[in-house]
Amino acid sequence: MKPLFLVLPLLLSGAAFSQSTNWTEVNLALTDAVVIPDYQAFATATADMNQQAKSICTSITPQSLADLQSAFQLTMDKWQAVQHIQFGPITYFNWNYRLQYWPDDNGTGARQLLALIASKDTSVLGSEAFARQSVGVQGLQALEQLLFTEASLGELQTDAYRCRVVQAIAANLDEIAAGVALRWSDEFRTTVATADERGFFESAEDATIDFLKAEVEPIRSLQQQKLEAILGESQVGARVKRAESWRSERSVRNIKINVASLGRFFNEGNPALNTVLPPEDIEGINASFTKVEATLAALPDSITQALETESGYNNLKQAAADLSALFELLEASLKKTDLYLGFNSLDGD
Amino acid sequence: MKMNRRQILGIGAFLLGAPTLIVAKQHKGQAPLLISAASDADDKHWVLGFTLTAIGVTTVFKSVLPQRAHHIAVHEQRGFFVVVARRPGTWLSLGDLETGALFREIHIPADRHLFGHGVFAADGKHFYTTESDFDDIEGDSGRVVAWEVSGEGASANLIRVQEFPSYGVGPHELLLMPDNETLAIANGGIRTHPAHDRDNLNIDTMLPSLVYLNRKDGELLEQQFLPQEFHQASIRHMDVNASGRVIMGMQFEGEPFLEVPLVATHQRGEALQLLLAPPEVQVQMKQYVGSMRYAEDGRHFVASCPVGNLLTFWDSESGVMVSSIRARDGCGVCATETGFVFSTGTGRLAHIELATGLVTDHEEPQLQQLFWDNHLSVAEVGTKS
Repeated sequence: MKPLFLVLPLLLSGAAFSQSTNWTEVNLALTDAVVIPDYQAFATATADMNQQAKSICTSITPQSLADLQSAFQLTMDKWQAVQHIQFGPITYFNWNYRLQYWPDDNGTGARQLLALIASKDTSVLGSEAFARQSVGVQGLQALEQLLFTEASLGELQTDAYRCRVVQAIAANLDEIAAGVALRWSDEFRTTVATADERGFFESAEDATIDFLKAEVEPIRSLQQQKLEAILGESQVGARVKRAESWRSERSVRNIKINVASLGRFFNEGNPALNTVLPPEDIEGINASFTKVEATLAALPDSITQALETESGYNNLKQAAADLSALFELLEASLKKTDLYLGFNSLDGD
Repeated sequence: MKMNRRQILGIGAFLLGAPTLIVAKQHKGQAPLLISAASDADDKHWVLGFTLTAIGVTTVFKSVLPQRAHHIAVHEQRGFFVVVARRPGTWLSLGDLETGALFREIHIPADRHLFGHGVFAADGKHFYTTESDFDDIEGDSGRVVAWEVSGEGASANLIRVQEFPSYGVGPHELLLMPDNETLAIANGGIRTHPAHDRDNLNIDTMLPSLVYLNRKDGELLEQQFLPQEFHQASIRHMDVNASGRVIMGMQFEGEPFLEVPLVATHQRGEALQLLLAPPEVQVQMKQYVGSMRYAEDGRHFVASCPVGNLLTFWDSESGVMVSSIRARDGCGVCATETGFVFSTGTGRLAHIELATGLVTDHEEPQLQQLFWDNHLSVAEVGTKS
């Protein structure tokens, strides 16, 4: 996901809460309980998808395509669980953008993919060459475009090059997902464990701020980018094609997984990330998480389907409002601490 | 005061090998006064003056501002400073350099807005701002406005006298060149309009440029454009050394994953030198440079990257980035005898000594809970050290 420059009023005020956190313990507990296992799950799903893709071009049947679509769905599930972590190895080599080029308001990725298919250039499909192609053709959005249209089966059966692009993307995703998981477990965990003024972070607290940003900022992104940008002002004015995974009919499912993952990110590990906030705030924040999840649970996974009814549209609006309320609770709680998430970095001047 | 040593490989060794390059400033027994805008948790906005010495930080003044500001221009001879509103603000606030008291607020015409920067002429008789004629929605709406300076101290005033085209859109920082007659202007290239908040209205057609104007009549002396492939790199912040080499920092409005120069240097009559950091640092700069300042040696410089939480240090002669340190939300920078003071949007105020990499944090109760704005200014008229 492209970083969204949020107008976060993160001018956090003075510290009524006396902080006695062991930052390194929090950082490592979260890394070990959530971050590394979730990246490994993503890598495993992506490797499985790549295995399936390797054999698909010899005989593409409705069943083999359905199997690959299922593998894609599982990969997307696992990606959505870690999508909010936008620091650390995911930022190496533009891995974040190469995994998923979205949002793409101008349809650049789709155009680039069609141009690639029209080129029939096999020299760009090897792993090294493919990694240097436009990010718009390298990742999950491009793969979805190839696998999830009504014409996908026929096009893949009749156009061998198109099928080879599917294989190139799956291999590319596998390489990146494996790389991110490996870098976290083999390198970045140590960076987190040893965070002090001699290393990458300024301090262990500085590292905690990156974890907190991965918790708080995506909640506004979900509200604004994944919901409000699609919903517009009315049901008839909704713009489905702005949604993240409209072709594979899982746009709402993505948000459900995002929220559940943010809840785990907040609460799992011992000590959990929530311990950096005043204890009296945690119950309310978790109740707010539960509220969003309940609103989302009433919705189908497909945003197209959800938008067919007035109640679906209203529920999506409610989910956006719930996310906003959750964000504000977290923001208010942060204001009671000495943790500052940023000011000039959100400035744009 | 907290001290620690960051890894600042490269520049330390370089400077140690050439110690004569560091020219110590003569402060005549006075610690320089540092001035910056800041905001607090209650969304109040301030201008602060303070000194940094071996014994720590001393707040000299703290005055409340009407809105968020950006840069502060200092008129040392006449004892006042000008706080410039952050874009699209429309006010200038004049303050007494000794007390910090804000004694005059000047509003620009309703069909103009400021960009947060201003500069005094060396003769002290004129002041210049960058502005937008925003209703000119098609043309080069950038303006450079000349102001006449009158009075001094708390009776100083600025009279708006002349307006020149900046030969571009969205002019941001402007500098006085060493000849004292030429202004260098960073035309950021981004068209905005107050009716559309701070939105970029021309992302596909941006055309940033570095422009040199005769400050007396606005004559266009030279204009440098970036190569077309980098036309979305908005030129925003600059500094210049005694030999006239301009350094400039850019903010790239295009795709976040493209490798785009964010730092460049320029000498009049020559081509722009576009600079890249090593790939692992370049990607961390997050397409955004927030402030540029030369070191005391007039050769090395810092480019701060608040989005990437980095300060990067460069050699303007070789064009090489020699080192970097992490500084969360670090943006404001100004040179000292031995390195740079830097300020951050998380409320930090620190000094980095270039030869050793020693970082000293300055903590003072009055300055806590303040979030420093993008730019630090310095005046050689501080309190006694």
